[in-house]
Amino acid sequence: MHKEIADYLNSVVSGAEAKALEAEVGDSSVLVASEHILKVCQALKDSDEHQYNVLQTISGVDYPEGVGEDKTPVIEVNYMIASFTKNTEIILKVRVPRGDDENLPKVDSVCSVWTAADWQERECYDLVGVEFVNHPDHRRILNPYDWKGHPLRKDYKAQEVYQGMTVYPEDKQNIPEQDFIVEQNKLNDEAKAAAKKAREEAKKDN
Amino acid sequence: MQDSVVLLKMDDFLNWGRKNSLWPMTFGLACCAIEMMATGAAKYDLERFGCGAFMATPRRADFMIVAGTVTLKMAPRIKTLYEQMAEPKYVLSMGSCANKGGPYWQHGYHVLKGVDEVIPVDVYVPGCPPRPEALIEGVMTLQKKVANERLLRDKWVKNA
Repeated sequence: MHKEIADYLNSVVSGAEAKALEAEVGDSSVLVASEHILKVCQALKDSDEHQYNVLQTISGVDYPEGVGEDKTPVIEVNYMIASFTKNTEIILKVRVPRGDDENLPKVDSVCSVWTAADWQERECYDLVGVEFVNHPDHRRILNPYDWKGHPLRKDYKAQEVYQGMTVYPEDKQNIPEQDFIVEQNKLNDEAKAAAKKAREEAKKDN
Repeated sequence: MQDSVVLLKMDDFLNWGRKNSLWPMTFGLACCAIEMMATGAAKYDLERFGCGAFMATPRRADFMIVAGTVTLKMAPRIKTLYEQMAEPKYVLSMGSCANKGGPYWQHGYHVLKGVDEVIPVDVYVPGCPPRPEALIEGVMTLQKKVANERLLRDKWVKNA
Protein backbone atom coordinates (compact mmCIF):
# COMPACT_ATOMS: atom_id res chain seq x y z
CA MET A 1 0.00 0.00 0.00
CA HIS A 2 2.83 2.41 0.85
CA LYS A 3 4.57 1.54 -2.41
CA GLU A 4 1.45 2.41 -4.44
CA ILE A 5 1.03 5.69 -2.62
CA ALA A 6 4.69 6.58 -3.18
CA ASP A 7 4.32 5.79 -6.91
CA TYR A 8 1.13 7.81 -7.07
CA LEU A 9 2.80 10.80 -5.43
CA ASN A 10 5.80 10.61 -7.75
CA SER A 11 3.50 10.58 -10.76
CA VAL A 12 1.36 13.52 -9.57
CA VAL A 13 3.88 15.82 -7.86
CA SER A 14 7.09 16.33 -9.74
CA GLY A 15 10.14 16.25 -7.47
CA ALA A 16 8.21 14.73 -4.55
CA GLU A 17 10.87 12.01 -4.22
CA ALA A 18 8.33 9.86 -2.41
CA LYS A 19 9.81 6.70 -0.97
CA ALA A 20 8.02 3.92 0.86
CA LEU A 21 9.72 3.01 4.12
CA GLU A 22 8.61 -0.54 4.83
CA ALA A 23 9.16 -1.24 8.51
CA GLU A 24 9.77 -4.74 9.79
CA VAL A 25 8.69 -3.68 13.23
CA GLY A 26 6.23 -0.87 13.83
CA ASP A 27 4.50 1.26 11.26
CA SER A 28 5.50 1.69 7.64
CA SER A 29 5.48 5.19 6.22
CA VAL A 30 6.06 7.29 3.13
CA LEU A 31 8.98 9.72 3.09
CA VAL A 32 8.65 12.77 0.86
CA ALA A 33 10.83 15.77 0.07
CA SER A 34 10.15 18.50 2.61
CA GLU A 35 9.77 21.32 0.06
CA HIS A 36 6.83 19.55 -1.61
CA ILE A 37 4.81 18.55 1.46
CA LEU A 38 2.00 21.01 0.73
CA LYS A 39 1.51 19.73 -2.82
CA VAL A 40 1.74 16.13 -1.65
CA CYS A 41 -0.91 16.64 1.02
CA GLN A 42 -3.18 18.45 -1.41
CA ALA A 43 -2.76 15.64 -3.94
CA LEU A 44 -3.57 12.96 -1.35
CA LYS A 45 -6.65 14.83 -0.24
CA ASP A 46 -7.92 15.60 -3.74
CA SER A 47 -7.30 12.20 -5.31
CA ASP A 48 -10.45 10.16 -5.95
CA GLU A 49 -8.53 7.00 -5.33
CA HIS A 50 -7.19 7.81 -1.85
CA GLN A 51 -9.35 10.62 -0.40
CA TYR A 52 -7.26 11.35 2.69
CA ASN A 53 -9.74 13.75 4.24
CA VAL A 54 -8.61 13.70 7.90
CA LEU A 55 -5.40 14.86 9.53
CA GLN A 56 -5.10 12.95 12.78
CA THR A 57 -1.90 14.37 14.19
CA ILE A 58 1.41 16.00 13.38
CA SER A 59 4.38 15.07 15.49
CA GLY A 60 7.95 16.24 15.43
CA VAL A 61 10.84 13.97 16.35
CA ASP A 62 14.39 15.08 16.98
CA TYR A 63 17.20 12.85 15.70
CA PRO A 64 20.48 14.57 16.61
CA GLU A 65 22.42 11.46 15.53
CA GLY A 66 20.54 10.82 12.32
CA VAL A 67 18.05 8.11 11.38
CA GLY A 68 19.39 4.60 10.88
CA GLU A 69 22.38 4.48 8.52
CA ASP A 70 22.16 8.15 7.66
CA LYS A 71 24.09 10.08 10.33
CA THR A 72 23.04 13.63 9.39
CA PRO A 73 21.15 15.23 12.29
CA VAL A 74 17.54 15.79 11.28
CA ILE A 75 14.17 16.69 12.63
CA GLU A 76 11.42 14.49 11.31
CA VAL A 77 7.87 15.76 10.99
CA ASN A 78 5.28 12.99 10.84
CA TYR A 79 1.82 13.55 9.43
CA MET A 80 -0.66 10.86 10.38
CA ILE A 81 -3.51 11.12 7.94
CA ALA A 82 -6.57 8.99 7.39
CA SER A 83 -9.37 8.51 4.95
CA PHE A 84 -12.72 8.01 6.60
CA THR A 85 -14.33 7.15 3.26
CA LYS A 86 -11.77 4.51 2.25
CA ASN A 87 -10.99 3.41 5.82
CA THR A 88 -7.21 3.74 5.41
CA GLU A 89 -4.45 5.38 7.40
CA ILE A 90 -0.96 6.41 6.43
CA ILE A 91 2.07 8.14 7.92
CA LEU A 92 3.79 10.79 5.84
CA LYS A 93 7.28 11.86 6.84
CA VAL A 94 9.52 14.74 5.95
CA ARG A 95 13.06 15.26 7.20
CA VAL A 96 14.65 18.67 7.62
CA PRO A 97 18.08 19.72 8.96
CA ARG A 98 17.98 20.66 12.66
CA GLY A 99 19.20 24.23 12.36
CA ASP A 100 19.51 26.32 15.53
CA ASP A 101 17.49 28.86 17.49
CA GLU A 102 18.11 31.72 15.07
CA ASN A 103 17.69 29.57 12.03
CA LEU A 104 14.86 27.12 12.59
CA PRO A 105 14.09 24.48 9.96
CA LYS A 106 11.24 25.48 7.67
CA VAL A 107 8.36 23.35 6.40
CA ASP A 108 5.30 24.55 4.49
CA SER A 109 2.16 24.72 6.58
CA VAL A 110 -0.65 22.37 5.54
CA CYS A 111 -3.37 24.43 7.24
CA SER A 112 -4.83 25.22 3.83
CA VAL A 113 -5.40 21.49 3.26
CA TRP A 114 -6.64 20.40 6.67
CA THR A 115 -7.66 23.10 9.16
CA ALA A 116 -6.81 20.64 11.95
CA ALA A 117 -3.15 21.29 11.21
CA ASP A 118 -3.33 24.70 12.90
CA TRP A 119 -2.79 23.70 16.55
CA GLN A 120 -0.78 20.61 15.67
CA GLU A 121 1.77 22.72 13.85
CA ARG A 122 1.84 25.25 16.66
CA GLU A 123 2.63 22.44 19.10
CA CYS A 124 5.35 21.11 16.84
CA TYR A 125 6.84 24.58 16.58
CA ASP A 126 6.64 25.12 20.34
CA LEU A 127 8.24 21.87 21.45
CA VAL A 128 10.56 20.79 18.63
CA GLY A 129 11.22 24.08 16.86
CA VAL A 130 10.06 23.67 13.28
CA GLU A 131 8.88 26.82 11.56
CA PHE A 132 5.75 26.35 9.47
CA VAL A 133 5.74 28.76 6.55
CA ASN A 134 2.39 30.49 5.82
CA HIS A 135 0.84 29.33 9.08
CA PRO A 136 -2.15 31.60 9.91
CA ASP A 137 -1.33 31.96 13.62
CA HIS A 138 2.29 31.06 14.20
CA ARG A 139 2.69 31.26 18.00
CA ARG A 140 3.69 28.97 20.81
CA ILE A 141 0.78 26.96 22.17
CA LEU A 142 1.86 25.28 25.44
CA ASN A 143 4.80 27.28 26.72
CA PRO A 144 4.52 30.99 27.49
CA TYR A 145 5.15 33.30 24.52
CA ASP A 146 8.39 34.63 26.00
CA TRP A 147 9.83 31.14 26.52
CA LYS A 148 13.33 30.43 25.27
CA GLY A 149 14.17 27.26 23.38
CA HIS A 150 12.23 24.22 22.29
CA PRO A 151 11.97 21.71 25.15
CA LEU A 152 11.66 18.42 23.25
CA ARG A 153 14.93 18.90 21.41
CA LYS A 154 17.51 16.48 22.74
CA ASP A 155 20.06 19.22 23.40
CA TYR A 156 17.57 21.45 25.21
CA LYS A 157 18.88 23.21 28.31
CA ALA A 158 16.27 24.60 30.69
CA GLN A 159 16.64 28.29 31.36
CA GLU A 160 17.99 29.12 34.80
CA VAL A 161 15.68 32.03 35.53
CA TYR A 162 12.26 32.66 34.06
CA GLN A 163 10.57 36.00 34.83
CA GLY A 164 12.60 36.34 38.01
CA MET A 165 11.77 32.82 39.20
CA THR A 166 14.66 30.40 39.65
CA VAL A 167 13.85 27.20 37.81
CA TYR A 168 16.17 25.00 39.90
CA PRO A 169 16.69 26.67 43.30
CA GLU A 170 19.82 25.30 44.90
CA ASP A 171 18.27 24.77 48.32
CA LYS A 172 15.59 22.54 46.83
CA GLN A 173 17.90 20.13 45.07
CA ASN A 174 18.64 17.09 47.21
CA ILE A 175 21.37 15.63 45.05
CA PRO A 176 23.81 14.92 47.96
CA GLU A 177 21.10 12.85 49.62
CA GLN A 178 20.69 10.93 46.42
CA ASP A 179 24.44 10.25 46.42
CA PHE A 180 23.96 8.92 49.92
CA ILE A 181 21.34 6.50 48.61
CA VAL A 182 23.69 5.35 45.85
CA GLU A 183 26.38 4.80 48.47
CA GLN A 184 23.93 2.88 50.64
CA ASN A 185 22.89 0.69 47.73
CA LYS A 186 26.52 -0.11 47.00
CA LEU A 187 27.10 -1.13 50.63
CA ASN A 188 23.94 -3.23 50.57
CA ASP A 189 25.04 -4.96 47.38
CA GLU A 190 28.45 -5.72 48.87
CA ALA A 191 26.85 -7.12 52.01
CA LYS A 192 24.50 -9.26 49.91
CA ALA A 193 27.41 -10.58 47.80
CA ALA A 194 29.39 -11.45 50.92
CA ALA A 195 26.40 -13.27 52.42
CA LYS A 196 25.88 -15.19 49.19
CA LYS A 197 29.53 -16.20 49.11
CA ALA A 198 29.37 -17.36 52.73
CA ARG A 199 26.25 -19.42 51.94
CA GLU A 200 27.90 -21.06 48.97
CA GLU A 201 31.00 -21.91 50.99
CA ALA A 202 28.84 -23.38 53.74
CA LYS A 203 27.10 -25.50 51.10
CA LYS A 204 30.45 -26.71 49.77
CA ASP A 205 31.58 -27.71 53.25
CA ASN A 206 28.44 -29.78 53.69
CA MET B 1 -29.69 32.18 78.09
CA GLN B 2 -31.21 35.28 76.51
CA ASP B 3 -30.05 37.56 79.30
CA SER B 4 -26.65 36.04 79.80
CA VAL B 5 -23.46 37.92 79.24
CA VAL B 6 -20.36 36.39 77.76
CA LEU B 7 -17.05 38.02 78.51
CA LEU B 8 -14.13 37.28 76.22
CA LYS B 9 -11.27 38.98 74.48
CA MET B 10 -12.16 40.79 71.28
CA ASP B 11 -9.41 38.91 69.45
CA ASP B 12 -10.79 35.55 70.60
CA PHE B 13 -14.27 36.55 69.53
CA LEU B 14 -13.13 37.57 66.07
CA ASN B 15 -10.92 34.52 65.70
CA TRP B 16 -13.79 32.23 66.67
CA GLY B 17 -15.82 33.71 63.86
CA ARG B 18 -12.99 33.74 61.36
CA LYS B 19 -11.81 30.21 61.95
CA ASN B 20 -15.26 28.76 61.56
CA SER B 21 -15.97 30.50 58.29
CA LEU B 22 -12.74 30.11 56.35
CA TRP B 23 -13.81 30.40 52.75
CA PRO B 24 -11.46 28.85 50.21
CA MET B 25 -11.06 30.04 46.68
CA THR B 26 -12.32 27.92 43.78
CA PHE B 27 -8.96 27.18 42.33
CA GLY B 28 -7.49 23.88 41.20
CA LEU B 29 -4.48 23.15 39.04
CA ALA B 30 -4.16 19.39 38.61
CA CYS B 31 -5.16 16.03 40.07
CA CYS B 32 -5.05 17.40 43.64
CA ALA B 33 -8.05 19.49 42.65
CA ILE B 34 -10.03 16.27 42.18
CA GLU B 35 -9.30 15.32 45.79
CA MET B 36 -10.18 18.86 46.83
CA MET B 37 -13.54 18.53 45.07
CA ALA B 38 -14.10 15.18 46.81
CA THR B 39 -13.32 16.89 50.10
CA GLY B 40 -15.87 19.56 49.38
CA ALA B 41 -18.54 17.07 48.28
CA ALA B 42 -21.01 15.13 50.42
CA LYS B 43 -18.84 12.24 51.59
CA TYR B 44 -16.10 14.24 53.30
CA ASP B 45 -18.13 17.44 53.59
CA LEU B 46 -15.70 20.26 54.24
CA GLU B 47 -18.72 22.36 55.23
CA ARG B 48 -18.60 20.69 58.67
CA PHE B 49 -15.61 22.92 59.36
CA GLY B 50 -17.14 26.02 57.81
CA CYS B 51 -14.83 25.75 54.80
CA GLY B 52 -17.21 24.48 52.17
CA ALA B 53 -18.12 27.78 50.57
CA PHE B 54 -15.76 27.79 47.61
CA MET B 55 -15.72 31.39 46.43
CA ALA B 56 -15.51 32.06 42.74
CA THR B 57 -13.51 35.23 43.25
CA PRO B 58 -10.34 35.95 45.20
CA ARG B 59 -11.93 39.10 46.67
CA ARG B 60 -14.33 37.09 48.82
CA ALA B 61 -11.99 34.26 49.71
CA ASP B 62 -10.11 33.90 53.00
CA PHE B 63 -7.61 31.34 51.87
CA MET B 64 -6.34 29.70 48.77
CA ILE B 65 -5.77 25.97 48.34
CA VAL B 66 -2.97 25.61 45.81
CA ALA B 67 -4.04 22.18 44.58
CA GLY B 68 -1.69 20.89 41.94
CA THR B 69 1.41 21.46 39.85
CA VAL B 70 2.44 25.09 39.63
CA THR B 71 4.00 25.65 36.22
CA LEU B 72 6.18 28.64 35.49
CA LYS B 73 3.45 29.88 33.19
CA MET B 74 0.87 29.72 35.99
CA ALA B 75 3.06 31.11 38.78
CA PRO B 76 2.65 34.83 37.94
CA ARG B 77 -1.13 34.30 37.69
CA ILE B 78 -1.20 32.64 41.12
CA LYS B 79 0.70 35.60 42.49
CA THR B 80 -1.86 37.97 40.98
CA LEU B 81 -4.72 35.96 42.48
CA TYR B 82 -3.01 36.01 45.87
CA GLU B 83 -2.56 39.76 45.68
CA GLN B 84 -6.24 40.18 44.83
CA MET B 85 -7.34 38.45 48.02
CA ALA B 86 -8.32 40.63 50.96
CA GLU B 87 -6.29 40.56 54.18
CA PRO B 88 -6.07 38.51 56.34
CA LYS B 89 -5.30 35.83 53.80
CA TYR B 90 -3.81 32.38 54.01
CA VAL B 91 -2.35 29.86 51.62
CA LEU B 92 -2.60 26.09 51.93
CA SER B 93 -0.19 24.23 49.67
CA MET B 94 -1.71 20.89 48.78
CA GLY B 95 0.29 17.96 47.44
CA SER B 96 3.92 17.32 46.58
CA CYS B 97 3.95 19.48 43.45
CA ALA B 98 2.81 22.64 45.19
CA ASN B 99 5.07 21.87 48.15
CA LYS B 100 8.33 21.29 46.33
CA GLY B 101 7.83 20.48 42.68
CA GLY B 102 6.88 16.86 43.37
CA PRO B 103 7.92 14.41 40.67
CA TYR B 104 9.15 17.33 38.56
CA TRP B 105 11.80 18.43 41.03
CA GLN B 106 14.75 17.34 38.89
CA HIS B 107 13.73 17.32 35.22
CA GLY B 108 10.66 19.56 35.22
CA TYR B 109 11.95 22.46 33.17
CA HIS B 110 8.54 24.12 33.25
CA VAL B 111 7.57 23.54 36.89
CA LEU B 112 8.05 25.95 39.76
CA LYS B 113 9.79 24.12 42.60
CA GLY B 114 7.18 24.82 45.23
CA VAL B 115 4.57 27.56 45.34
CA ASP B 116 6.43 29.14 48.29
CA GLU B 117 8.86 30.53 45.72
CA VAL B 118 6.25 33.14 44.78
CA ILE B 119 3.76 33.42 47.67
CA PRO B 120 4.01 32.77 51.43
CA VAL B 121 2.52 29.43 52.50
CA ASP B 122 0.89 28.77 55.87
CA VAL B 123 0.17 25.06 55.76
CA TYR B 124 1.75 22.31 53.70
CA VAL B 125 -0.22 19.11 53.08
CA PRO B 126 2.00 16.28 51.83
CA GLY B 127 0.78 13.51 49.56
CA CYS B 128 0.49 12.76 45.88
CA PRO B 129 -2.35 13.58 45.88
CA PRO B 130 -3.27 13.85 49.58
CA ARG B 131 -6.39 12.01 50.63
CA PRO B 132 -9.37 14.15 51.62
CA GLU B 133 -8.67 13.35 55.28
CA ALA B 134 -5.21 14.86 54.89
CA LEU B 135 -6.64 18.02 53.35
CA ILE B 136 -9.15 18.24 56.20
CA GLU B 137 -6.32 17.97 58.68
CA GLY B 138 -4.51 20.73 56.81
CA VAL B 139 -7.57 22.92 57.04
CA MET B 140 -7.90 22.19 60.75
CA THR B 141 -4.25 23.09 61.25
CA LEU B 142 -4.95 26.37 59.52
CA GLN B 143 -7.95 26.89 61.82
CA LYS B 144 -5.69 26.41 64.84
CA LYS B 145 -3.30 28.96 63.41
CA VAL B 146 -6.14 31.42 62.88
CA ALA B 147 -7.44 30.82 66.41
CA ASN B 148 -4.07 31.70 67.91
CA GLU B 149 -3.60 34.95 66.02
CA ARG B 150 -3.87 38.31 67.77
CA LEU B 151 -4.72 40.68 64.94
CA LEU B 152 -6.17 43.51 67.04
CA ARG B 153 -3.47 43.37 69.67
CA ASP B 154 -0.75 43.39 67.04
CA LYS B 155 -2.39 46.30 65.26
CA TRP B 156 -3.35 48.54 68.22
CA VAL B 157 -1.12 47.70 71.14
CA LYS B 158 2.35 49.09 70.76
CA ASN B 159 5.26 46.78 71.48
CA ALA B 160 2.89 43.91 72.00
